[in-house]
Amino acid sequence: MTDRGPSIRVADFVPETHPWRQWADTFPWAALVAAVDQSEARRFPTHTTRGRAPMATRVLLALELLKHELPCSDEQICSRLRTDLAVMYACGIADVHVDRFQGHVVLPEILAQFRRRIDEALMHELLTIQAAAAMEAGLVSPAHLVFDTCPSEQGSQRVNDAATLYKAQKKSSKSSRR
Amino acid sequence: MTNQLAAGTTALQAQVGGLQHDLQRMMRRFGRQCRGQGNVFVTLVRQTEQHLLEAGRQLRPLVHAAGTHWYEAKHLPAAQRERLVTKLQVALAAHQRMAKQSRRLTNGKPLPHGKIVNAYDVTIAPICKGKRNCPAQFGRKPGMIAEMASGFIVAFRLPVGNPNDLSSVRPLLDGVQQAMTRVSGRCALAIHSLAGDLALNDASWRETLHARGILTVGIPRTVEPLTPVPSQEDVRRVLNEAGLHGKRTPHQVHLACACGYSRPVVESIMASVLCRGAARITYKGHRGAVVQTGVTVMAHNAATLVRVQQNHLSTRAQKLRRLLRLKRHNVNEFNVSKN
Repeated sequence: MTDRGPSIRVADFVPETHPWRQWADTFPWAALVAAVDQSEARRFPTHTTRGRAPMATRVLLALELLKHELPCSDEQICSRLRTDLAVMYACGIADVHVDRFQGHVVLPEILAQFRRRIDEALMHELLTIQAAAAMEAGLVSPAHLVFDTCPSEQGSQRVNDAATLYKAQKKSSKSSRR
Repeated sequence: MTNQLAAGTTALQAQVGGLQHDLQRMMRRFGRQCRGQGNVFVTLVRQTEQHLLEAGRQLRPLVHAAGTHWYEAKHLPAAQRERLVTKLQVALAAHQRMAKQSRRLTNGKPLPHGKIVNAYDVTIAPICKGKRNCPAQFGRKPGMIAEMASGFIVAFRLPVGNPNDLSSVRPLLDGVQQAMTRVSGRCALAIHSLAGDLALNDASWRETLHARGILTVGIPRTVEPLTPVPSQEDVRRVLNEAGLHGKRTPHQVHLACACGYSRPVVESIMASVLCRGAARITYKGHRGAVVQTGVTVMAHNAATLVRVQQNHLSTRAQKLRRLLRLKRHNVNEFNVSKN
């Protein structure tokens, strides 16, 4: 991560049977990273080379995926990247140079910015790459498929005015009884 | 937004301030009249709504005036000006849609499907029928196509609003086709069958799928699902109905029936996706929802592949994988005869 302090080989510390290592090894990272880089280069061409060197796409993409595998927030996953060698392995970090003064590796804001750049087409492409890799490895067959929908909630509301009125009346009658 | 304009637009700022003040006064008056009564007065709600709509009419000329001022604001970068103008137009469009919906409610007419439930994201729709005594959920309904043997989700689609489930099938099949075209080095892959619940029980859709060489075995014709082990007659009937005698073999029909729609299996796939964060969309907008669902699906797929590699599958899944010739050779197994 930095060029100071003694070096640690991450793969030596994370056993092959570790669930996150096995989980991370299933992804075709090279193809996924290439797709993200191509999409971003096409939609957000950089006109300058000034400023801090960008964070590797592999790290950010892995963090975004890990965030959903280990249910945690942006802050939590970024914090774990600093301290957890299994998370480092999943993010493709091979060697770590220990620096106890370094507070963070990836800021949550950078992760949010990376997520903001992912669009619908790119998301579908990433899933297509993953599915193609699984089919190519002979792990999955598209021969017999099933289709269904699952609801994802984003809020709730009263259905109509009558329901709202009914609820209000019920509430007021309860309070008057008291 | 008006604060970012040049100093010459003080009149506009004053008008905007006046409008905000009027709106606040109306809402305050409405709150005072309702306070302490223990009742919600529908008439009062309607009257306030009329006042608000009348006040809102001044919004359109103000937006047009602001639009002309934006192009004169040379102190702002062009990109920022464009972004602010787009934001203004989106806000105006949202206001128009909400005013239209509000008038429809006032007249007591039922709302069609395109109901706005969130002022900041019009792509969200109610996803279930509400009851009288509890709130109705609103959100999104992603459609997914999964492999039945392991639960690997090959493609997903997140439609805008809450359209018919049938509308998602074609884009999803195209997504699967795209994934198959990327595969190289194996024999040609093909979709043999598609299973679904009664939402897909549509004659024209069945014909479309049959024309693509896809059996629709899993879709029940009645509420009674098809048997997982079909007889010779059933197989013949399925092939005759689909008109796929030359394309699909009886063995494939048997496999399709075995894989066919099973509610517990589908529920387990959904539960896995929902527990990874798809149950509640927290990212903003339609794009945000697509990203959240997509990343969740990818995380689920990776976990599924780990289970497949370790052979941590149900007996049914193991059998199906064996029939599909997907079972991996177990390197730890000693296959030499014991005799």
